[in-house]
Amino acid sequence: MNRNKHLLLWSSIGTLGLLIVAAVQENILKDWRRIQAAASTIDGPIDVRLRQVISPDLKITDRCVSCHVGMAPGEEPAVDGPTLATTTHPPVVHDPGEFGCTVCHGGQGRATDMADAHGDVPHWPHPMIPLQYAQAGCGTCHTHVQVPRTERLEEGERLIARYDCFSCHRIDGRGGTLRPGGVGGMEGPDLSYAGAAGHDPQWYAKHLQQHEAAEDGVWKDSFGPIPDDDLRTIDNYIASRVGAPRLVKAKALFHSLGCRGCHKIDGVGSNDGPDLTRAGDMDPLFVDFSYVEGPHTIARWHEEHLRDPAKIVPGSLMPNFGLNDDQIELLTLYLMSLRRSPHPEAYWPKDRILAERFGEREFGTDGGTLYGTFCAACHGDSGQGVRYPDTVPFPSVSNPDFLAVASDQFLIDSIRTGRPGRRMPGWNEMLGGLRDEEIEELVRYLRETGGVKAPEVDRTEPRWVSADWEFGRRLYDNHCGSCHGPEGEGTEAPQLSNVAFLAAADDTYLFETIARGRRGTPMPGYRSGSPIHPALTDAEIEALVAYLRTWEK
Amino acid sequence: MSESPRKNSALRDFGANLIKSPQRILRSAMRSGSPTTDRTRSEFVFGNVFLHIHPVRTHRWSLRWATTWGLGTASAAAFLIALVTGVLLMFYYKPYPEVAYDSIKDIHFVVPTGRFIRNIHRWSANVMVVAVLLHMVRAFYTGAYRSPREFNWLIGLGLLIVTLGLSFTGYLLPWDQLAYWAITIGANIAQSPREVTDAVGITEVFDPGGLQRQLLLGSDIVGEEALIRFYLLHVMILPLMLVILMAVHFWRIRKDGGLTRPDDVDDRLGPPPPDTYPVFTEAPAKTYHLAAIVRGRTSAVGQGPENTVPSMPHLFYAELGVLMVTVFICVALAIVSDAPLKELANPAVPENPAKAPWYFLGLQEMVSFSAFMGGVGIPTIVVIGLGLIPFLDRERQGTGESFGGPGGKKLVLESAVIGLALVIGLEAFAIRFGWLREWYPEIPQWVITAVNPGTILASLYALYSLWLIRRYNSARAGAMGLFTCFLCGFVVLTIIGSYFRGPNWDFYWSPAEWPLH
Repeated sequence: MNRNKHLLLWSSIGTLGLLIVAAVQENILKDWRRIQAAASTIDGPIDVRLRQVISPDLKITDRCVSCHVGMAPGEEPAVDGPTLATTTHPPVVHDPGEFGCTVCHGGQGRATDMADAHGDVPHWPHPMIPLQYAQAGCGTCHTHVQVPRTERLEEGERLIARYDCFSCHRIDGRGGTLRPGGVGGMEGPDLSYAGAAGHDPQWYAKHLQQHEAAEDGVWKDSFGPIPDDDLRTIDNYIASRVGAPRLVKAKALFHSLGCRGCHKIDGVGSNDGPDLTRAGDMDPLFVDFSYVEGPHTIARWHEEHLRDPAKIVPGSLMPNFGLNDDQIELLTLYLMSLRRSPHPEAYWPKDRILAERFGEREFGTDGGTLYGTFCAACHGDSGQGVRYPDTVPFPSVSNPDFLAVASDQFLIDSIRTGRPGRRMPGWNEMLGGLRDEEIEELVRYLRETGGVKAPEVDRTEPRWVSADWEFGRRLYDNHCGSCHGPEGEGTEAPQLSNVAFLAAADDTYLFETIARGRRGTPMPGYRSGSPIHPALTDAEIEALVAYLRTWEK
Repeated sequence: MSESPRKNSALRDFGANLIKSPQRILRSAMRSGSPTTDRTRSEFVFGNVFLHIHPVRTHRWSLRWATTWGLGTASAAAFLIALVTGVLLMFYYKPYPEVAYDSIKDIHFVVPTGRFIRNIHRWSANVMVVAVLLHMVRAFYTGAYRSPREFNWLIGLGLLIVTLGLSFTGYLLPWDQLAYWAITIGANIAQSPREVTDAVGITEVFDPGGLQRQLLLGSDIVGEEALIRFYLLHVMILPLMLVILMAVHFWRIRKDGGLTRPDDVDDRLGPPPPDTYPVFTEAPAKTYHLAAIVRGRTSAVGQGPENTVPSMPHLFYAELGVLMVTVFICVALAIVSDAPLKELANPAVPENPAKAPWYFLGLQEMVSFSAFMGGVGIPTIVVIGLGLIPFLDRERQGTGESFGGPGGKKLVLESAVIGLALVIGLEAFAIRFGWLREWYPEIPQWVITAVNPGTILASLYALYSLWLIRRYNSARAGAMGLFTCFLCGFVVLTIIGSYFRGPNWDFYWSPAEWPLH
C-alpha cells in the first residue's frame, strides 16, 4: 500500500509540475509579455496585457500590437524599451488602429508567437508579405486604375519638374520646399495622395485663371499654359499618386513589358499563360518550390521565376526576358499585390468600385500603354518584332512597309480575332477582353509609331485577283516555301495558311506585300529583283495571291 | 413575552444548523461515516454509484505491481483523459470540410491552451492504443482468459476493436492531407472484398465491399458526408459502445472472482507486511442470503484463506496512482511534441506515401500485397483466432503466472525467435525479389490474394503452432507459440511500414533516401 501511496503522490506532484510548466509557458514566457514588461512611456511602465485590433466587419482580430506595442491604437507612445515597443507605424493613408495589420500585411493575426503570427510556419496559407514588398498589401483592396506604362509615367514626372510644379507642390517627398531667402514654398497642397483623395479634373482651368489674374509672385512666375498632350500626361501622373509610388511604378513596368499578352488579370489578357488575378495570394502549399533556392515564400518564388522561368517551372513556355534586379523586384512587388481578399463591399475603395462595377481600366487606355500592356512582349517595345529562342519570330508591326499596305480594317480585324492556332490571341471582348475603342486606339498608336498613314488605295473590290493558282504554286515553292513553309504553315516567317489572316487580308494587301516586301526584315520586295531572287511580274504575283487564296477553304 | 424564547431558540437552531450543514451535506452524499472502520470502508465502496463496480475487498495478489502493471487501469485512464480533452475540443471543432481544418488551426493558434489540450488528446489516444495492446498481451501470458473469464476476454477483444476504431475515426477530423489520404486508404480497404467478388465475377450482383465503403463514406468520395459520419462515430457511437463494454468488462472482473491468481497464491504472497490494515486470512464463515441461491464462485464459504484487504483505500490508491501516471505521461508528451497538422486536404494531390495511423501500418504492409487479405482477411482470422483461444485452451496449468503453462518462458523465447525469423525472412525476400505480380504481370489477382507474404506467414505460424500442440501435448503451448509469433509479426510489419516504406510503398533504409519527386 505504501508503494501505491508513493506512486500516487509522486505522479500527482509530477503532473502538477508539468501543468505549471505548461501554464508558465502559456502565460509568462510569451515574448509579448516580456516586451511589454520592458517598455515604458513618459508616464511610467505600461500595462502588460494582450493588445489587439478588432474589426468584426473586416473579420480581423490582430494581436500583432501585443509585440508591436508602439503601433497599438490609442496608446501613449513608448519612449523606452525594446525597439519593437518604441517603433511606431510609418504614416499611411489608413489608420492601423482601424484596419488592423493582417488586412494589408498578411500573416496570422490571432497568433501570439512571432513565427506563428508572421505565418512562417508550415501549412499556413497566408504568410506575411515581406517588408520590402509591403506596398503589395494595397492590392488586397485597391485596384489602382489607369496606371500608364513606365515611359508615360516617367514622362509625367519629367513634365512636372519642367513646368516647375515642385516649386509649390510636394509629391512623394519631393519639392515644395522653402525657397532661398526663406520666403514661400509649400503654397500648394501635397499631391502625394492626390489620386486617392480625388483628383480634380478642373485644376488646370483654375490654375490658369489664377495665373492670368496674378500681377506677380509665384502664380505669375511659376505657372504657365501647358499644351494639351502634356496636360494629359501630367493628369495621368497626378491621378496615379495614391500614396504607393513604388507599387504604381511596379504596375507601370508591368504595363510596359506586355505581360498581359499571355496572362489574364480580371478577365483581360490572353490565356497563353496562367491567370495572374491572384498571383500574390497563392497558397505556398500548392506551389512547387523544388527548384527555388532560398526561403520557400511566394515572393521568392516570383523573384526566381522572373529571373529564369524555365528553371523554376521545367518546360515553361515563358521566355527569359533578361530582367535586371530592379525590374525583378518591381514585378514581384506588382505580382504580390494581386491578392484581392473578399472584404465587405462597404470597405471597397473608390478605385476598386470604379474598376469592378463601372468598368474603369486598371491600365492606361492611351495607345502607348495599351501597346505596352498587351503587345510589347511579343512585338517588341517599339513594334520592331521579337525572336525568342525556340519560338517562331514575332513579326514587326511598326514596319513602314507593313503599315503602308495594311488597311486600318485589316489591323483591327487582326487584333480582334488574332491568328487562331498561332501565338497571337484574339483581343475582342469575348477573347482577350479589349473594347473596340481600345483596339482602335491601338491601331492609331501603331500608325503614329510607324509614322505611316493608312494607305489610300481603292479597295472597293477586296478580291479582285483571278489568276492560275497552279502557276502560283510553282512560284510559291520556288520563292516562298523556304521561309513560310511548304504549306504556308509559317516556320521562319508568318503563317500564310491561317484562315483568320486570309479573311482579314484583301487581295491588295497580299499583292502589295509581295510586291514591296518588308524592309528591315528577310522579306524582299519581288517587284524588283536582287542577286538572290528574281523580279516577278504583276501576273506572277497575282498567281501567287491566287494560290494563297486556295488555303482559305 | 411567551413567544419570544421560542423565537430565540429557533434562531439559535438555525445558526447551529447552518454551521453544521457542510458536514451534513458531505455525510448525506457519502451515505456512511468516514471510512475508518472495516464496515464503513465497505459501505464507502458499495454505497457509491461510481465505486460499487469495484469489489469491497481486493486480493493482495491483485495489488502486486507485477500482476497487471496497471495496464487495464491505464487504458481506462487514457480513455478518461481523451474523453475530457475531447469534450473540450468539441467546443471549437466544426465538422465540415475546410471549416474543420480552419477550426483546428484556431484551436492550435488562437484558443487559449487549445494546442495543449489537442496535444493531450492526441497523445492520450496513442497511449490508450498502446496500453490496450499491452493489456491484452499481459492477460494472454498470465492465462487470464481461462474459464471463468472467457467472456471477459471476448469483451476485451471488442474493446480493442472499438479503441482502434476511435483512433481511426479521429484521424479524419482535422481534414488535412494526412487525414484525407489515410481515410482514403481505409475506405479502399473496406472496399477490398471486391478483390474476391471480382475474381468470382459476382461483383455486379453481390458487392459487400462496395456496400461497406458506401456505408463508411456515405458517398463515393471522402467528402462532407464521410466527415460527419466519422465525427458522429468518433464523438458519439464509439465512445458509447466503449463505455458500455468497459462497464461490462469491469463488472465481469468482479463477477468472475477478481483478477486471475495462481493456485498457490497464498504461499507466494507470504504473510502480509505488519503495517497493512487488517487482512482477512481466514476462510469466511458467514454467508449471505443471495449467495445461497446464486450459482458459481460468489460464495467463498469453505475455501482457503482469502488474503484480501479493503479496497478502500488500498485499491483506490493503486488506481488513482496509475491514473495520475497516465496523466503525467500524456501531459509530458503533449508539452514535448505537437500533434501534427499538415496542409489542407486536397483531393487532387495524393500524399505519397499515404500512410495510415501507425498501429495500422502492419496491416498496410500486408495490404500492399493484397488489399483484401491484408485489410480484411487476415485481421478477421486473427480476431476469430484470438476469440477462440479461451474455448480451445481448457487447461488449468500455469493460470495466473506470467508465461504460465507447458514450455513457459523458454517456449515464448523460442517462438519469438522463430516468429521474427519467419516474418523478417519473408519480408526480405519480397522486398529483394518482388512478388508474383513482378514475375508474372499477367497473373490473375485471386492468385495473389491467396498466395502472398501475409497468408504464407499466417499459415507458417499456424503450422508451427500445431506442431507445438503435438510436441507439448498442450493447446496452451500452441496458443502461446501462435500468439508470440503474431506479436512478432505485428511489431516487425509495423516497424517496416512506419520507417522503411517511402513513396509508392517502395523500400528505403531511411526517409533521407526518398526521391524528391
